[in-house]
Formats: sequence, C-alpha cells, structure tokens
Amino acid sequence: MASLRELQRSFAAALHDPAAECPVAPPANLAIYRNNSSQAFRSALEASFPVIRARVGDDYFGQLAHYYRKAFPSRSGDLHFVGAKFAGFLGDHLRDGDYAWLADLAHIEWSREEALICAELPAVGAEVLARFTPEQLESLVFTFQPSLRLHSSPYPVFSVWIANQTPGASPVDQSLGGECGLIRIHGESLEVQPLPPHLFTYLYALDDGETLGEAMERSGLDEPGFLNALGFVFSEGLVTNVSVKSSMDGG
Amino acid sequence: MSRLDPRGVPLGSIPARAGIGLRFVHHDALLEERPAIGWIEAHTENYFHDGAAPRALERARANYPLSLHGVGLGLGSADGIDRAHLSRVKRAIGRFQPALVSEHACWGHVGGEFFNDLLPLPYTEEAVALLAAQVREAQDFLGVQLLIENVSAYVAFEHSRLAEWEFLSAVVEQSACGLLLDINNIYVSSKNLGLDAHAFIAGVPAASVHEIHLAGHARNGTILIDDHGSAVCEEVWDLYSRAIARFGARPTLIEWDTDIPALNTLVGEAARADRVLEELHGLAA
Repeated sequence: MASLRELQRSFAAALHDPAAECPVAPPANLAIYRNNSSQAFRSALEASFPVIRARVGDDYFGQLAHYYRKAFPSRSGDLHFVGAKFAGFLGDHLRDGDYAWLADLAHIEWSREEALICAELPAVGAEVLARFTPEQLESLVFTFQPSLRLHSSPYPVFSVWIANQTPGASPVDQSLGGECGLIRIHGESLEVQPLPPHLFTYLYALDDGETLGEAMERSGLDEPGFLNALGFVFSEGLVTNVSVKSSMDGG
Repeated sequence: MSRLDPRGVPLGSIPARAGIGLRFVHHDALLEERPAIGWIEAHTENYFHDGAAPRALERARANYPLSLHGVGLGLGSADGIDRAHLSRVKRAIGRFQPALVSEHACWGHVGGEFFNDLLPLPYTEEAVALLAAQVREAQDFLGVQLLIENVSAYVAFEHSRLAEWEFLSAVVEQSACGLLLDINNIYVSSKNLGLDAHAFIAGVPAASVHEIHLAGHARNGTILIDDHGSAVCEEVWDLYSRAIARFGARPTLIEWDTDIPALNTLVGEAARADRVLEELHGLAA
C-alpha cells in the first residue's frame, strides 16, 4: 500500500497535472483543489500588486500569475511572501519589451507590501546632532525607519503608481522619463513620494551605510542643498538612530 | 490560553456563546459598534507580522476574548512541520494571548511546495499516527492545547479504512488535542461523499469538542463548495441543534470569508446561534 508521503506526492502531482493518477474518488473533484490552490496564489499576488493588475487587466494578470507560480511556487503556509520574486520575474519576462516598466512598478508595489508589515519606530529629531562634536559630523551614520524603501527607475513609475490609486486612471505618458522616490509607513499611513534626484541619492547613500560626508559628496549637493536634505530626513521622521561610524566598520 | 485542568476541561476565557470570525474589513466597525457578541476569532497567519493589522487586533482583543485559528500549518503533511511557521504561531500566541488556538486536520505541503489549501488526509492508522505525533510536537512547542478542525472534503482516498469521526477520535486519544467541529464542513463532506452526518456527530467524543464553526457554502451542480460566502443553511442549523443537544453548550463561531457582508449580518447569525444555545442549555456567562 502506498505510504502517506506517496499519497500526498500523487495528490500534489494531480494538482499540477489533471492527467496524473491519484487514488481518490471521485477523481474529477480534484479540479476543485486545483482551482483552490491556484486561486489562493493568484489572490495573494493580486493583493500585493493591485496596480499591475489594473494596468494589465484580469486575463493577462492571470497568465502572469500562472507562469510565475510555475517558476516560483509557494514555499510557505503564509501566503504573504508569494510575491517576493514577482518583480524579478517580470524583469526577466518583459526585458527590452514595451512593458519593461511593469517590473519597476512591481518593485514599488512589493516595497509597499513590505512597508505595510513594518513597525514604526520612534524618530529622533535634529537636536540629536548636538550630542556630537563638529569634527564628528562628517562621520555620522543614520539608521532609518524599518519601512523605508528607496527606488529609482528609468520610467515614471511613481507617477503611474500614484495615478492608479484612483479607479479607471488613464495611462501615464511614458515619455515623462525616469523617477526616483521613497515608500514608507508614516503615522500609520502608507506614503509613496517621488523625490528630486540629488535628495534621493543622498538618502540612498545614507541608507546604504555611508557617512554624512560621503553621502553629501555622492549626491553632489551644495551646502544649502545639504542642509535642506538634512532637515528633510529629520522633519519627515525618517531617522531612528544616529551614531559615529567606527573605523572598524570598514570602507 | 487553553490548558487542561485535572478533569480534562480546557481553562480558557472563551464563553460558551456565539462569536464571529474577525476579518480586516470589520476591524473598524467592530470597535465603533461594539456588538454584543461573546468572542472573536482571527486567522493566525493574518497577524504574523507588524503594522496596522496586528495593532487593530490588539484593540479588538481589549474588548473581546480571542481565539486564534491557523490555516497554514497543515499538521498532517508527511514531510513534517514547517518550524518557521510554527515559530510565527508561537510569536502570535505570545503577542495576542488567545484563549483558544486551533488548526486543521489536513495537510498542505510536500516536496517543498505549499498549496495553501486544506487538503484531505486518507483515514488510515498511518495518518492518525503522523497527525497525532505532529499535533503533540506542535502542542509541546507552543505550550497550549490545540483544537483540530475537520475539513470539507470533495474527494475520499481509496486507502481510507476509518470513518472521519473515527479518525479524529483516534487523533484526540493519541495527542490529547481537542476538537473544533465545523458543522458546515460535516454537512458539505457528507453531501459530496455520501456520508452520514448524524453518525459523525453521534460518534465523536463529546467531551473533546471545545468549539464549533458555522458557515455557508455554495452549490456547483451536485457538489457543495465550502466557500464561507453566504448565511448558514437550514440543514446546517438543524445539525447544529443536534450537536449542541449532544455536546452541551459550546463556543460557536460564525465564519464568513467571501462576499463578506456588513458586520451586523454576522452579528445576526451569531444571535441565532445564541438562541439555539439558550433554548437547549441556557447561555453560559
């Protein structure tokens, strides 16, 4: 007699292939389980990527979900993470085509999904800088809110995301060019905000562990721009900790 | 948290009254309307992470006793328990301090792939032993007694040698878990597979039944689909009355997961369950 594991393997095979043998009665009803598991996967993906679904329509989204599930089946009883590789999948699938921008839009939507399950920590204000000597300021490193995600794209994907928060949005003119910005939770609400490129580069460098001095140099900000950027990260409540980079931290 | 006293009665704070399955769409309405329901139940997996959802559940938990109901462990999977998932369940128990914790008598993964569905088990001695061992393992790790729920079935394994209620009774005996009887699932499976729903209710060990679920189902031709998308049907209410007459008053949950109506519709269904409890046994405080 087949073992329990063998029975479960044959059941799983029948969930993928209607022609596979599985010792159950009535076998036709396996279609209900086949439909349940593919619908559960698709619904979870749709909940994570509502703008992609709105832009490509139900049928094409269904096809994408089908092929994505074949390549990246669910690896957990918690469906929350099934979309983790969807942006990369779209990038491979749509590379060089007219819809390559969908992969970048998917990055924004997945960042939203990640941000939504992050805790919001108490922010520190600019007064924290008074704790450090003027000589230390260039070597300061910042820790940002856990929900903060930063993205840049050669496509206007922030505008696409924002426009599609209203049902029936018109397509965004792709000739608008690239955009960069942040996604985060702020005051229990999701925030998706395009940023000027200098400010984005500065935030990106700090988020990457670079010092205040390195971030200023990398972003090309002049002194007034730098002071504005510094004011921005504190006034927006992005900073949760400031410390001096230790020489042991490496380059 | 549910623990056994020396008489085998779970010590929890879920009253033997009707409650409702809390879904995201009702979080705000529950806090604003404060309906007179006995308790709430939430899907454990929906509160694994940080963010707004668990904060909302904490607010709801401050007003109602809570049961956590898992849909993702698949404790009958021959490949074993997903320990990462089990750890998240433990974290949720620590955070929300539920009075009851439940899972399903099903499997959900094999060969590393998860199907995110409540898949049926063959009713064999081998499956009893495996499910009971994994229920014990989970109970030991979580530090609570688990209630195990019967699932709706659309197929039966040709290898099955036991009736479903015999299978569940044996799992209870070998693991010291409790039972969560879903009356709609008993009805759906009995209609789909030609089984005797009355024999099921008459057969399970009454003292082990610590919770009851009620929900609606859909009809697709001759097949009943357990979609939790409508009111409880009259046949299921009849079975529920029989069950309560036999088991005594038990915490009873109204579940609704698709085409979810306004909160007061669920509260109305819960009030009907309360009337059944009151007529047969008087409501427990």
